Amino acid sequence: MSHRSEARGMGLWSLASPALVLCVWELAGRLGWTNPILLPRPLQIIEVFLGLVSSGAVLSPLLHTVGLFMIGYVIASLLGTALGIAMATSQTLYGLLEPLVESLRPIPKPALVPVLFLFLGIGKATMIVLVVLASVFPVLISTFQGVRGLDPVLLETARTLQISRSRTIFSVILPASLPMILAGMRVALGLGLVLVILAEMLAGEDGIGFRILDHERSFQVREMFAWIVVLVALGGAMMKLFEIAERRLVPWRGRS
Amino acid sequence: MSEKLGFDHVTKVFEGSGSEPDYVAFDDITLEAAPSEFLAIVGPSGCGKSTLLRLAAGLILPTRGQVVLGHKPIDAPPPGVIYLFQQYAKSLFAWRTVIDNVMFPLEGAPRARRAEQRAQCREYLRQVGLAGFEDKYPWQLSGGMQQRVAIARALAANPEVLLLDEPFSAVDALTRMELQTLVLQLWEQRKFTAILVTHDVDEAIFLADRVAVLGARPTSLKEIIDVGLPRPRDQFATREDPRFLKLRHDITASLLARSDGHVASV
Repeated sequence: MSHRSEARGMGLWSLASPALVLCVWELAGRLGWTNPILLPRPLQIIEVFLGLVSSGAVLSPLLHTVGLFMIGYVIASLLGTALGIAMATSQTLYGLLEPLVESLRPIPKPALVPVLFLFLGIGKATMIVLVVLASVFPVLISTFQGVRGLDPVLLETARTLQISRSRTIFSVILPASLPMILAGMRVALGLGLVLVILAEMLAGEDGIGFRILDHERSFQVREMFAWIVVLVALGGAMMKLFEIAERRLVPWRGRS
Repeated sequence: MSEKLGFDHVTKVFEGSGSEPDYVAFDDITLEAAPSEFLAIVGPSGCGKSTLLRLAAGLILPTRGQVVLGHKPIDAPPPGVIYLFQQYAKSLFAWRTVIDNVMFPLEGAPRARRAEQRAQCREYLRQVGLAGFEDKYPWQLSGGMQQRVAIARALAANPEVLLLDEPFSAVDALTRMELQTLVLQLWEQRKFTAILVTHDVDEAIFLADRVAVLGARPTSLKEIIDVGLPRPRDQFATREDPRFLKLRHDITASLLARSDGHVASV
């Protein structure tokens, strides 16, 4: 209880610094210190943002971005978890996959954009593959470490209770390493979002990334900023949802 | 239901890595727990008592000799041999409720029997004094209660042989006494073979029919002492029995490897 109220108190304080920046920004605009064409005031941006929301114009690009992202993210999470567990539990699969993973993992994923354009064309498939590539490795690495770090007592318990290998994986290893899998998925969430926005900027026909770049090219600076606000709100909301899900899924974390 | 479990000339050598020399954990240990016997193994800490139990559970294999359950040598964890770990918290499944932890060993069975098995598990929980805690999670319980969950789960696995690896060393003294009494009650009801490893001489005498004393490294069997105290044992009467004190004296002396006159003198 005291922890929770403490966290709430921190929450209020953590609003102070962004609020201060916004005030200074607004004031600077009103006093004419900034170029109003290049840098609109926060209140002007919010006005456009609220217009986007109330007119419903925000919906289609938002769904486009979220849709592409979610497809890639879900694939990456499943793939990363499966590969991580496979590599951590089978020496053969570890030997087979480790060189591949270690050669692909360090590549900055935006560098693969031209390659993917070449092979998959400029379209949704490319964007989804980019999200998968960006998100899969954090999940994989974290899962692998989670499984390798499991207490031997847990696995020995399963062995002495005569639990089959497949049941051990699904009923013991998977839930026991869930906290680490989720930690990887949290990192992947941020990376995946970056890549989907980048992909939309480079190749999109719709979506938040496309809107931001499109408005910049048409010198609709307020609209551009308003879409950035949409993006910030989306990122924040997804992180918050993720935290809630995490607390529900692993309530024992840090307690056992 | 119970089986005998025996160590037949068991030697366990752990290979040293790199320049480290090989480490001989035990040399030529022969020891057998008869069906339904309560055997305690005591030894100085670091003598590898737990390694002996891990061999009995089939979690590791002997370098020479064999571990025999009934008449079959053990080469993998055999059904019916259940291990009660010292680190009970790590052996329980945090994501499962208490009742689902106890159900775990039974979930391979056909679904039609689920309801019946669940009722049975509730009964096990009642036996270990956890009625009403079925839907809690292990991390919501105290240490002693967590070990009770592990005991109930062991019962659900229908043990022929129960291996107890210092199971009460991590709980407070009063809880330890309660758990000792509980294990004795369950053992008398179910008549499984019990092998307890502990460094607590009092605990070994209080629980066991015989106490095997291990020597220092490389560990070998020093002697086996018949306890011979009447059952059912009682936390007061048994511990205050002059024979209890005599046994404690002898076993402690054996562990300290000194002549009688020097025991515990500084």
